Amino acid sequence: MEKPPEAKNWIKVGMSTCGIAAGADVVFATLLEESRKRNIQIEIKKCGCLGMCYAEPLVEVSVEGLPAVVYGRVDKEVAVKILEKHVCGKLLVNDNIFDFPIKKQV
Amino acid sequence: MDKRIVFIKDTGMQSADRTRDFYAAFLDQLREGNLHETVQVLRVADIGLYNQGVVVKILPDDIVYCNVKDSDIKRIVDTTIKEGRALDELVYGGKPKQIRIVLRNCGKIDPESIDDYLSVDGYQALRKVLSEHTPETVIEELKKSGLRGRGGAGYPTWMKWKFTRQSKGQEKYIICNGDEGDPGAYMDRSVLEGDPHSVIEGMIIAGFTIGAGKGYFYIRAEYPLAVDRIKKAIGQARERGLLGENILGSGFSFDLDIRLGAGAFVCGEETALIASIEGKRGTPRPRPPYPSVQGLWDKPTAINNVETLANIAVIILKGGSWFAGIGTEKSKGTKVFALTGKVRNSGLVEVPMGITLREIVFDIGGGLLSNKGIKAVQTGGPSGGVIPKEYLDTPVDYENLQKLGSIMGSGGMIVMDEDDCVADIAKFYLGFCVEESCGKCVPCRIGGYQMLEVLHRITEGKGTMADLAKLKLISESMRKASLCGLGQTAANPVISTLTYFENEYKEHIVNKKCPSHKCKSLVTYSILQAKCKRCRVCVVNCPENIIKGDREKGFYIELDKCIKCGKCFEVCKFGAILKE
Repeated sequence: MEKPPEAKNWIKVGMSTCGIAAGADVVFATLLEESRKRNIQIEIKKCGCLGMCYAEPLVEVSVEGLPAVVYGRVDKEVAVKILEKHVCGKLLVNDNIFDFPIKKQV
Repeated sequence: MDKRIVFIKDTGMQSADRTRDFYAAFLDQLREGNLHETVQVLRVADIGLYNQGVVVKILPDDIVYCNVKDSDIKRIVDTTIKEGRALDELVYGGKPKQIRIVLRNCGKIDPESIDDYLSVDGYQALRKVLSEHTPETVIEELKKSGLRGRGGAGYPTWMKWKFTRQSKGQEKYIICNGDEGDPGAYMDRSVLEGDPHSVIEGMIIAGFTIGAGKGYFYIRAEYPLAVDRIKKAIGQARERGLLGENILGSGFSFDLDIRLGAGAFVCGEETALIASIEGKRGTPRPRPPYPSVQGLWDKPTAINNVETLANIAVIILKGGSWFAGIGTEKSKGTKVFALTGKVRNSGLVEVPMGITLREIVFDIGGGLLSNKGIKAVQTGGPSGGVIPKEYLDTPVDYENLQKLGSIMGSGGMIVMDEDDCVADIAKFYLGFCVEESCGKCVPCRIGGYQMLEVLHRITEGKGTMADLAKLKLISESMRKASLCGLGQTAANPVISTLTYFENEYKEHIVNKKCPSHKCKSLVTYSILQAKCKRCRVCVVNCPENIIKGDREKGFYIELDKCIKCGKCFEVCKFGAILKE
């Protein structure tokens, strides 16, 4: 079993029950559709819950040259901003980043 | 070099949010230094710190400044951003409170893809076990780790596995208890949904260790997504030869199946759970014999909680002593809590054992939602108790919580503020247990019902002082004589509230008042004429049309007809409705 290499650019959407209840499925569909429309090449995938249920739906974005950040309370509008500004423009989006410190396991 | 990024957030809670002002000031300062092209300043929604004034975080250097003043902006730009040096006097000294072991992959990998799990060392522990370990050395490793059952009681996992292994018989079983029923707790759901393969890996290792050829997931039917993802994950593991005959060429064969719980809380109790899997009515039976001797279909069976199993693979990979390095003397590793109630950041937190409740509620949870003070924290669901604010600095572990009259439980943690009435809380939890009692044994069936009646009386203002003694007496018999954990612990919320808040009960009984204004029968509403602007909003909103009077003479509530819905109190903008 080979370990598949992880893509450098990706978007992860928290799609556990808590995320879906807060509208993560809509966000996921929006991201897929809008990235296709704009011909943006980026891996978009479903993930589990990060734990910050108060800020669902959560979307984690990693683009080369920028730190991976978690966006919270994402709706359609923010999803489009993430694609246009963060993924294409390489600028993080204001007001929706939820940064929380977690000690990496040793 | 990566572009510099500056996060700004005002974490003060007392005054108005100044994030935007600082953002603008920072931008100006950067423009002055002609840095605005290479540095991006951002307003963030949450920076993971609370009550630390304005927090500025600079990436990729990962320097965090707290309590930043307007006058500091210039220095930060000049020293840290231009020269890359930290300003020691402003640096936030705290360390991250959360450690993620159980939730290591949750939100990081696609739970429906086995390749994602493999890319984060998935199934490496299983490989290691099959190639380097014997069942005895696995047990030894677990013993070293000090891992204890995360379902609530905290029984050492290595002992459970050892006893099951030692029991005679060819056929043995391993069961994953995913019947998470405590109100407000959902850690197991998150793990099953977010990282199903880690639990499966734990199950296979458990099967190898105890000598079982078959395992069952017992998951409540209310978790359809979890069931779906576990089902998919089992299929993928089978395809890759990680389940089934001769796993990875080791000669060890093991397979998994799913059984759904039908919604009975008592089925989380191990003997009731076994009966439920066997297709019988889900009622507990007396122990011993324990399931490790006589479990599923009378064969030796090990039953572990989801969270316990999710810990196994990491312990095997990193070693028992690594795991034992986290936590307190008797409670090792981390615990996932579902932090809910009147707390700002509700969600899942994974913290090392030994952290204080205060750190969990205020440093991770961000404090209370309302500006009311904290009253207590409830842990352990319907089997647990309340921990009053005086004990918030107690380090959280199995023994300490028990000493305080509560339990670790599966990990529900409900924060209560001064608006919550303890008698009401006790009534809620006891009511839950009474409804979920299977009815097999008398102390639980009748005792619970009688206690609930007494609590109803007290909250309606019809209680007597003798009722308090009665509550204590019944709860003692329930604890001693009930058949299973449900009945034995059902009275815990009542007992612990009585211990810490006896005065509030007395207030209900003697003065017929509810100090938190929660118990409807003991609350009265009236209009404060001095504050009333006679706007008639309450009159219009009263569902019973019992606010009488006119603009000239003023309004009043016809108390005898009032249903105490609280609508008038909610809609009055002038605070002219008195609730007492």
